[in-house]
Amino acid sequence: MTDSATHSAPRRLGLIITFGLAALAMIYLSYSLPRLLPGDFVTAMYSSSHVTLTAEQEAELRAYYTEEPGFGRYLVKLASLDWGYSYAFLTPVSALFFGALPWTLLLLGTAHVISMFVGFVTGVEAAWRRDSHLERSMVGGMTVLEGVPEISTGVILLVVFALHLGWFPAAGAETAYAEVSLLARLADVGHHLALPLATLVLAYFPGNFLLTRNSMVMVIKQSYITTARAKGLPARRIRYAHAARNALLPLVTRFGLRLAFMITGALVVERIHSYPGLGTLLYNAIQARDLPVIQAVVLASSLMVLTIILGLEMIYRIIDPRIEHAH
Amino acid sequence: MHINLKNELLQDHWFVVGFGLAVLFATVTLLGPPLAPFDPWDMSFAPISPPTAQHFLGVNDGGQDIFSELLYAVRNTVAFGLVSGLVALTLGVIIGLISGWFGGFVDTVLMRLADVLLAIPAIMILILTAALLRPSPVVLALILAGLMWPTISKAIRAQTLSLRESLHIRAAEQIGGGNWYIIRRHLMPEMFPLYLIGFAAKARMAMFMEASLAFLGLFDPSRKSLGMMISYALKYYYMDIWWNWLLPPIGCLSLLIMTVTFLAISLEKVLDPRLKQTMGERTA
Repeated sequence: MTDSATHSAPRRLGLIITFGLAALAMIYLSYSLPRLLPGDFVTAMYSSSHVTLTAEQEAELRAYYTEEPGFGRYLVKLASLDWGYSYAFLTPVSALFFGALPWTLLLLGTAHVISMFVGFVTGVEAAWRRDSHLERSMVGGMTVLEGVPEISTGVILLVVFALHLGWFPAAGAETAYAEVSLLARLADVGHHLALPLATLVLAYFPGNFLLTRNSMVMVIKQSYITTARAKGLPARRIRYAHAARNALLPLVTRFGLRLAFMITGALVVERIHSYPGLGTLLYNAIQARDLPVIQAVVLASSLMVLTIILGLEMIYRIIDPRIEHAH
Repeated sequence: MHINLKNELLQDHWFVVGFGLAVLFATVTLLGPPLAPFDPWDMSFAPISPPTAQHFLGVNDGGQDIFSELLYAVRNTVAFGLVSGLVALTLGVIIGLISGWFGGFVDTVLMRLADVLLAIPAIMILILTAALLRPSPVVLALILAGLMWPTISKAIRAQTLSLRESLHIRAAEQIGGGNWYIIRRHLMPEMFPLYLIGFAAKARMAMFMEASLAFLGLFDPSRKSLGMMISYALKYYYMDIWWNWLLPPIGCLSLLIMTVTFLAISLEKVLDPRLKQTMGERTA
């Protein structure tokens, strides 16, 4: 532990280099892949339409859509949010992206906060009541839920609650053109958020529960917990102030590790509930073969994921100094 | 690591259920085409008709028999998962062993590469390549495998590092066993449990990815897949088709993911040496 201060600076630098390389790899891929394409937008747009282009017009359009900026220019444009123009939506790509981003952040942020909190608390309580009937059936139920993918939960919730019971709207993030007070608008947004949020929480929460429960079971066995009990501390204080703090660490690591994977589910869930976030934007762009939008959404969201994971790694190193030495 | 594998696994309920389901899916995968009553691309039936004695699950909007479609779709999803999982496992084991055994510069480079790949969201690379280049499913499975190996190789590397200090490996070195001899004859067989765990986890991830990509419409539309069936059926969800068209692919996909999840969880519980010895944290 003594030389942790001397070690931590290079480690932190190594971490930043790793994430910088990952970001650069993503940027280079999104720069180079479209240039490998056989077809182009002009063919895609006009070959099946009723408009016939003269050779001159076609050449001009083609030159316009396939201009070659070079990787340096590409980086500059990327940083200045000049991401080009959407072929299909006829809007600047960055406007589309930043129009959709808040909804995705709202949905994913809330889903993660709720599933982390609920998963953590239930996991801690379940581990405390180990081998009781309640705990056994909870572990069983969560293992089954862990096996149900987001696609299935999303569709089932949609069919049951939006279609058959009609309790929640089936699409959108708020009622269009509804001029209502702020409070009514918030309620409206919440009402629309409920189904996609429930889907994501059901997808993330079982994993958090199982992980917390497993690490908590191991923490409880350690002797400092016995000491705390022998001192006569109240059970809740031992559970949360002593044991749960150490059980929290794996949960934070797992979040960082799995974030890159969990994005997949979020894309699908938005599409199922037609929630106007990045996933739906991406889906529509894929249907229209709108390359600039696909590229921008893929690249920008990957870079955001990288930043979040890097931030978590930094925070995690502060919370738990032990991992500076565990390689 | 010397445990009575068969008995311990058979006592685990999750393993028994998962294994039973796996046998079922293996049957469907292997015998799917002969079992299918119709050609799933045959569009000659009355569109959107409810189930009859001939068409167990009815007919979809394109006039295709849903039951036959389902059999082919399960086959495709399973194949994608197995190919991707297997390639990821092979890459992960080879890289983990090399990295752990040789150490030094090779280790630094390989593990740095692993860290970079771990941070990149795989789905984004898949979407980008699938949307732009329209590669075949096999190529996508390989790309996914190329992104999934790092977690496996990190586990293998950690185990190699602790094994290389053990007596029997030292002895093998002392009597003149070469690098590759020790890796092949001593290290590789000893880590067999880790392979099973890694493979189950990666196959699960790959199947989920396949369903999501197909659902988003990134595969060849003529390729039958569970995700695509769900996506098409969802367009008609206001009609009374949800129980015969929407529910079967959803049920199949859930059962499939559950199968692999149960197997992965029980294998990890029974086999993972790290969980037994150090009681350390588990990474999903």
